[in-house]
Amino acid sequence: MDKKVHLSKTFKIIMIVMIVLGIISVIAEFMTQDSTRVWANLLLNNYYFLSVAIGALFWMALQAVTQSGWSAAYLRVPQSMSNYLIVSFILFALMFFGVHDLYHWTHADAVAHDPLLQHKEPYLNLPFFAIRFVVFFLLWILITKRINFLSLKEDKEGGTTFFNKIEFNSKVFIFVFAFSFSLFSIDWLMSLDPHWYSTIYVVKKFIMAFFHGVTVITAIVIILHKQGYFPMLTKKHISDFARYIFALSIIWGYMWLSQYLLIWYANIPEETVYYIPREMGEYKTLFYLELIMNWAFPFIFLMWNRVAKNENLVLFAVLVLIAGHWVELYMSIMPSLNLKHSITLIEVGTFIGFAGLFGLVVGTSLSKMPIIPKNHPYLSESLHDDH
Amino acid sequence: MKTNMLGIYDDENVMLHAIDKLQDGGVAVADVYSPFPIHGIWSRLKQTTRLPYATFAYGAVGAVLVFSLLYWMSVVSYPLKFGGKPLNTLSFIIIMFVMTINIGTLFTFLTYLFREKMFPGKKVELPDPRSTEDKFVVVIADIGSLSEQETIRIKKLLQETGASEIKESTVTLHEH
Repeated sequence: MDKKVHLSKTFKIIMIVMIVLGIISVIAEFMTQDSTRVWANLLLNNYYFLSVAIGALFWMALQAVTQSGWSAAYLRVPQSMSNYLIVSFILFALMFFGVHDLYHWTHADAVAHDPLLQHKEPYLNLPFFAIRFVVFFLLWILITKRINFLSLKEDKEGGTTFFNKIEFNSKVFIFVFAFSFSLFSIDWLMSLDPHWYSTIYVVKKFIMAFFHGVTVITAIVIILHKQGYFPMLTKKHISDFARYIFALSIIWGYMWLSQYLLIWYANIPEETVYYIPREMGEYKTLFYLELIMNWAFPFIFLMWNRVAKNENLVLFAVLVLIAGHWVELYMSIMPSLNLKHSITLIEVGTFIGFAGLFGLVVGTSLSKMPIIPKNHPYLSESLHDDH
Repeated sequence: MKTNMLGIYDDENVMLHAIDKLQDGGVAVADVYSPFPIHGIWSRLKQTTRLPYATFAYGAVGAVLVFSLLYWMSVVSYPLKFGGKPLNTLSFIIIMFVMTINIGTLFTFLTYLFREKMFPGKKVELPDPRSTEDKFVVVIADIGSLSEQETIRIKKLLQETGASEIKESTVTLHEH
C-alpha cells in the first residue's frame, strides 16, 4: 500500500531529452517564424497542459463531492498534477512578454480608434488582465494544495474527518474553478479576437478541460498499470474510465453543435466571422478532423462494451484524443490570429517539450507520495470493485 | 410442474458469498430474489444480455426514419424556403438527436417488458413473498431432474453457507 512510483533513470533522461527538444523547437521558431506565431504556439501548449491539470483536479473534486467509491485508489494521479499548476503559473507569466503580439486589445492606439474595444476596456485592459491571472492561479494552487495536504494527512492519521474536509474543499474548488476557468478562457483564448464572442465558448472550454483531464488520468493509470502499479485495476475500472471519456465526448460534441448551429442559423456577419476562416479556407480539413477525433471516433469506438473494457484499446482511444485536443486548441487559436495553417516539426517539437515537462513534474510528484491513498474510507470499495 | 429449491438468507453479504460457494461447488444458481437491487449480482450469476444491441438498432433505425420523415416533409412534400436556409437543413440534427433517444429508450423498454413477459396487471410470480420484505432468496431450478445424492449435496451446501431456511417450491418462475 505504501508503494511509491519509482522513477527510472531512463524515464528522467527521456523526459529531459523531450524538454530539450521543445526548447530547441521554440528557439528555432523564434529565429525562423513571425513572433506572433511563436507566442500563439506557446499559448496553445501552455493552455493545453494547464487544462489537462486543472481538468484532472476538477475530476478529483468531483469524486470527493459525489463520494465515489470506485475511483478512491486513483486519486493520487490527479493530485500529483497540482504541482504542474505552479510550473504552469511561471510559464504563463512568461507569456506576458508576448502579450502585445497576441492580443490586439493591448495596443492603446488600436483601442483609441475602436468603439467596441473601448466599450470592453473596463474588463479587457492589461492591469486587470494580470490581476485576474494571478488571483485565479493562486486560488487554484491554494485549494488543490490544501486538498493534497489533507489527503496526505489522512494517510497518516486515518479517520473520516479528513474525508469530510476534502469534500468541503472540493466543493469550494468546483465553484471557484467553474467561475475562474471560464473567465480565464475568455481572457486568454476568446480575447484573441476581441470583436467576436460566443456565450457557449467558455462552456466548451470548461468541458474540454474536464475531457482532457480524464483522458490523461486514464492514460497515466493504464501506463502505470503496465509498469506493475495499481495491481487492482480491473476491467470494471477501465470501463468506468472509458465511460467518463465516452460521456464527455458526447457533451463536447453537444457543445460544439450548440455553438455552431446557433451561429449558422442566425447567420449574422459578426458571429459567422469566427467560422469563415475555419470552415472555408485552408483549415477546412482540420475543421472536420477536430469533430471526428474528439466526438465521432470516441463515440463509436467506446460504445462497444468489449472495447471499453480492454485496456489497450482504451489506451489507443486516449492517444487519439490527446492529439484531438491539440487540434481543437489549434483550431481555436491559430485562425483567430489570421495565421497561415502549418503544422511542422516545430509545432510537434514544442508539444513534445511541454509533454516532457508535464511528465517530469507529474512523475516526480507521484514518486514522492504513496500512489494509493491508504486510509481513504472508500478504498476497500475501490480495491474490490470486481463485478 | 417443476420443483425448485429455495435457499433463504437473512443478509446480503452472506448470500453473495453463498452464491460464489454454490457456483464453485458446481451448483447452477438460476435466479435471486431480493428486496432491493444488489450491485454486481448480475455478473456474479454469469448472466448476459443482448439488450444494448437492440437499443443500438432501434436508435439507428429511428435516426434514419426521422431523417426520412423530415426530408420528405420539408424537401419533397412541402418545400418552403425561409431565412435563406437550404431545404435539407442542419437543424434536422436536433430533432434527429432527440427522436433517436426517444425511440431508442421507448422500444428498449417495450422489448424488456416483452422478453420478461411483463404487462400491466400481471400476477406476481414469487417463490417466496418474503423476498419483498427482508429475505434474500436464492433459486436452484428444477431439482426434480437431479439425483437424490445431488439434492442432498445442494441442501448441505445451502446449510453450510448460512441459509436460514431451505425449502422446496412449485411456483412457476420465468426463465431467463
